[in-house]
Amino acid sequence: MSTAIRTEKLGKIYRTGFFLRPYEGLADLDLEVPEGTAFGFVGPNGAGKTTTIKILMGLQSATSGRAWIHGQPVPAPASRRRVGFLPERPYFYDHLTAYEFMDFYASLSDLPSAGRDARIRALLARVELDRFARVPLNQFSKGMLQRAGLAQVLIADPDLLVLDEPMSGLDPMGRVLVRDIIIDERRRGKTVFFSSHILSDIESICDRVAMIVAGRLRGQGTIPELLGQTVNEVECVFQQGGQRIPQVVPPDGVDALIRRMQAEGAAVISVHPRQKTLEQVLMSEVERAKPVQAARLGVLA
Amino acid sequence: MNRVRAIALNTFREAIRDRVLHSILFFAAILLFLSLAMQEITIGDADQVVRGVALGGISLIASLIAIFLGVGLVYKEIDRKTIYTLAARPIPRWMLLCGKYLGLWLTLLVELLFLTAMYVLIVGSQQGFPEPAIFLSIAMLMLEMTLLTAWCTLFSSFTTPTTATAFSLCIYVIGHFADDLYLFGKETEDPGVQALLLGLYRVLPNLSIFNIRAEAIHNIPIPASEIGYAAAYGLCYSAAVLAFAVVLFERRDFK
Repeated sequence: MSTAIRTEKLGKIYRTGFFLRPYEGLADLDLEVPEGTAFGFVGPNGAGKTTTIKILMGLQSATSGRAWIHGQPVPAPASRRRVGFLPERPYFYDHLTAYEFMDFYASLSDLPSAGRDARIRALLARVELDRFARVPLNQFSKGMLQRAGLAQVLIADPDLLVLDEPMSGLDPMGRVLVRDIIIDERRRGKTVFFSSHILSDIESICDRVAMIVAGRLRGQGTIPELLGQTVNEVECVFQQGGQRIPQVVPPDGVDALIRRMQAEGAAVISVHPRQKTLEQVLMSEVERAKPVQAARLGVLA
Repeated sequence: MNRVRAIALNTFREAIRDRVLHSILFFAAILLFLSLAMQEITIGDADQVVRGVALGGISLIASLIAIFLGVGLVYKEIDRKTIYTLAARPIPRWMLLCGKYLGLWLTLLVELLFLTAMYVLIVGSQQGFPEPAIFLSIAMLMLEMTLLTAWCTLFSSFTTPTTATAFSLCIYVIGHFADDLYLFGKETEDPGVQALLLGLYRVLPNLSIFNIRAEAIHNIPIPASEIGYAAAYGLCYSAAVLAFAVVLFERRDFK
């Protein structure tokens, strides 16, 4: 399977404050996003997700390492030819109406005039903004702007969608809409690379996930690969005298528990192995990364 | 080139929908009307004074608009984060900057055409249709604006609007006194000061070569070679300043 995005030892050091103290935004990131997957990029706030995306989109330069999109080196404009990008908390030209806004991005994507109008109208309908085509963006709510932003991502039918926190600040209906679009695009064979710290979204949508904490990659793969195949704990439910009794034990304690409960006259109702959740894995990675986090400021000092 | 045109048209559309620009143009129209009043309070050739005040007013307003729009040209895109979706398109940054510059240039052209039409209507109603030299002087003003906006674009590409405004005003003032800088440099006996002043004269723009208003008002013929030199100077200098702006813009991180 060919890769949509590949990075090799990608790093970014920011200079902050009057004395330009170094701050490590990203370090040695080796990422591989296969084509045709929905790829989640997870991590807590300030982990380096947006920095990575900005480097990939040519908005910031990497201090070290290299990256490629569809085999083209970043930040060459050719690397972004088949890419649609939605930044976090998107801001757009508020003097434009929704239609003019879409037309502007269609022009930037060299979309031919023939069929452009139909494409714009179809996309506005897809994000449920067709009724607001002639309304200036300065009258749009945050959720409407996010949806307009998503429509602009799709204008040139890109092969790779890069979405930075696409669901942040959206109401439940907006989140469902964004999720459906991601799933649809993935079904059409497109690659969707999106960052989020809302792990339930990631678990429900993504084929593969990369986890970044304190500027460093902490793992990537399918969700089962990341969570590990081993069972973390087992939930057993018994019934005794018309009362349900749930018990949670480590995997090696199940046999002993069942024997003990049966000896006491309880019946086994269910035995349910529990795996680690993505949230638990992320939290343990955050805990492990605390010394690294402290060292990020003044990394070169 | 379609993408440059799209960026230019978007910049133009944003500028002409700006209410501050409308207010400045309204103020300009009032200024042109008031220039007629000079006829009543002037001794001597009142028509020339009216033409002088009107053309001076047009020059002042055009420069104000050029600086007002130019200094925020790139900064506003970064500050409002609209640059994210723009620069993430497969567009080289030089194309992006040139599109923004051309949009500003188009805005100034339309604004100058509007002011010229106002001149013809207001001053022409009193003195008849203007001489061609008047139109030539406005065309030269457009060349001056081409150069001034290139500097504004340069400042806007690396600093805030406040600082860029201060720098642009300095360029505007120094540019109009460039000949004095040269004369002073020639006259001074201190070789260090002389080298500094002549160096500055060579690097900083000479905006006074675009000012042919006095000749236009008095209907004095201007040699074509002078016009040709000013045009070549304005276009080459603007291209050089823009190229420098592109170099700075190419290296800029958008945080």
